[in-house]
Amino acid sequence: MIQRMLAGLLSLLLITPMALLLLLSFSRHWIFPDLLPAQWQLRQWSELLHGNSELARATLRSLAMATGVALSSTALALPTSRGVARHRRRGTLLTLAYLPFAVSPVVLGASLLYVFLRLHLAGGTGGVMLGQFVFAYAYAVILLTSLWNPEAESLAGLATTLGASPAQLWWRVLVPRALPLLAVCLFQTFLISWFDYALELLIGSGLVDTLTIRLFQYFSAGDTRLAATCALLLMAPPLLGLVLNQRLLSAGLLFRGLEHDD
Amino acid sequence: MRVGRPSPWTLLLVLATTGPVLLALTFMLGYAFGGIGLLSQGWTLRHWQAVLADRQTWIALAYSLYVAALSLAGSMLLALTIVFALGARLRRGLLGVLLYVPLTIPPVVAALLTVELFSGAGLLARLAYALGWIAQPSDFPALVFSADGSGIVLAHFGLVTPFLVLLFDRVRRNERVDALMQLSQTLGATRAQALRRVALPVILCAARPALNVYLIVLVGAFEIPLMVGAQLPSMISVLIWNRFAQFDLSTKPQAYVLAALYTALMVSGLLLARRSAMTAGAAR
Repeated sequence: MIQRMLAGLLSLLLITPMALLLLLSFSRHWIFPDLLPAQWQLRQWSELLHGNSELARATLRSLAMATGVALSSTALALPTSRGVARHRRRGTLLTLAYLPFAVSPVVLGASLLYVFLRLHLAGGTGGVMLGQFVFAYAYAVILLTSLWNPEAESLAGLATTLGASPAQLWWRVLVPRALPLLAVCLFQTFLISWFDYALELLIGSGLVDTLTIRLFQYFSAGDTRLAATCALLLMAPPLLGLVLNQRLLSAGLLFRGLEHDD
Repeated sequence: MRVGRPSPWTLLLVLATTGPVLLALTFMLGYAFGGIGLLSQGWTLRHWQAVLADRQTWIALAYSLYVAALSLAGSMLLALTIVFALGARLRRGLLGVLLYVPLTIPPVVAALLTVELFSGAGLLARLAYALGWIAQPSDFPALVFSADGSGIVLAHFGLVTPFLVLLFDRVRRNERVDALMQLSQTLGATRAQALRRVALPVILCAARPALNVYLIVLVGAFEIPLMVGAQLPSMISVLIWNRFAQFDLSTKPQAYVLAALYTALMVSGLLLARRSAMTAGAAR
C-alpha cells in the first residue's frame, strides 16, 4: 500500500513539469495566484506552424544542425572506437576522449573563439556545428568502444579469413552487428547538439538562431509562454525516442567510466 | 588483439579531442599572460595577480564545488531511497516509463521549470496561497536567484535524481544486490546491516565512474546557474562568462585566467578519477 502511494506520488512529480509547460504554452493570461490560466490561446503554437516565423526557422535550423552533428560524429566514431578498443593504450585514449567534457563547453568555446574568428567560423552555423562535433564525437567514441569485445573481433577475423575485403567486413559484418548501438549513438549525439546552449552562445555569438538560444531570449524577456513552447519543442525528439525505444535514452546510463591500460 | 601502433582513427581521436583542448589552452594562457588580445600590453602576470587576489575567484570555485557536491549527494540519497523503497515497482506500469521523462529535459528547460515551479509566483507558491499558507508572492521562501544556491540545487535534483534512480536500479540488478543481501541476512546480518555493509558499497562502487563524471559535469554547469542562480556568488562557469562578456574589454584576460584555473582543477579531477579507476582495476 505504502509502495503504491509512493509510486503514485513519484509519478505525479514526474508528470507535473510537462503538464506545467503544456499549460504555459497554451495560456494567454495566467497571473498569481490563479492555479490555472484565466485565458487560453493558440498563438504560441500557430506561430510555429507559420513556416516563415522565427520560431519555425529556429526549429528547422536546430534540427538540421543536430542531424549533421549526429551523422558525422557517429560515422567517424565507429572506426575510431575500434581503433581505440584494439589499442594497447585504450585507457589513455579513452581518458583523452573525456578531456573536452572536463574543460566544459563554456571554457572551450570562450578560449577557441579567437581561432574561430580568424577562420571566419564564429557567428555561423558551421562553426557552432564544429564545436558541437568535438563533444559529440568524443561521446560517441566512448559509447561505441563497448562494441568491440573478443566476440566481435573473432567474427571480424573469421570474415577476413573467409576472404572479405575491408569494405565488405564493415558493411556486411561489423555495421549490421553494431546497428542497435549505432541507433543509440545517433540519437544521443543528436541530443548533444539539440540541447546545446553554451557553444551556440559563444561560438555562434548569439547570431545562430536556434531553439535553445530562442528559449533563453524569451525567458530573459519574461515571455514564459513562448519559452514554454520552445521547451516542449526541445523535449519533443527525446520524448519521441522514449516512445519508440527506452534504450535510445538509457543505453548511456552505464557509461563506460575511466579505464586503466592493460 | 591489442596493438600499440597509432592508427589513422586513433590519431583522429587525439586530434579532435586533445587538439581543441591544447589550442584552447594556448589561447587561454596567451590571453591570461597578456601576450595576445586587443588591449595587450605585452606579457605580464598582472591579470593573474588580480584574479588570485580577488575573493570572488575563490568564492566561485568553492561555491561551484559546494553546489555540485550538494546536488550530487542529495540526488544520490534521494535515488537510493527511491530504489530501495520501490524495488521492482520502479520498472512496472506508467512509472517505468515516466522515470525516463527527466532524461528528455535539457538544462535550459530545467532552469525554466525551476523558476515556474519554485519562484514567488510559481506553481508551488500558488498552491501555498490556495491552502492559505501565504498571502502574497513575497511570503514564499526565496528558492530561486538566491545566494545559497537552492534554485540551482533543486534544478539539479530534478535532472540528476531520475538518472541516478535508473542507474542504481540497473546496477542493483546487474550486480545481483538482492541475492547478496539475502545471503548476508541468511548469515545473520540484519536488514539494515545488509543494506549498509553490502548493498550500498556494491552499488556505489559499480556506479563510481558515472558519479565521478557527473560531479565534473555539475561543477562546470552553466545554463542552470546562469538562469536561476544569484548574481553573487556565482558558479565558476558563470563568473568566466560574466568577465568574458563584459563591455569592459580589460576584464577579458581575467576571464581567461579563471578559465585556466578551472581547467587545471577539472583536468586534475579527471586524472584523479582515472587513477582511482586504475587502483580499482588493479585491486580486482
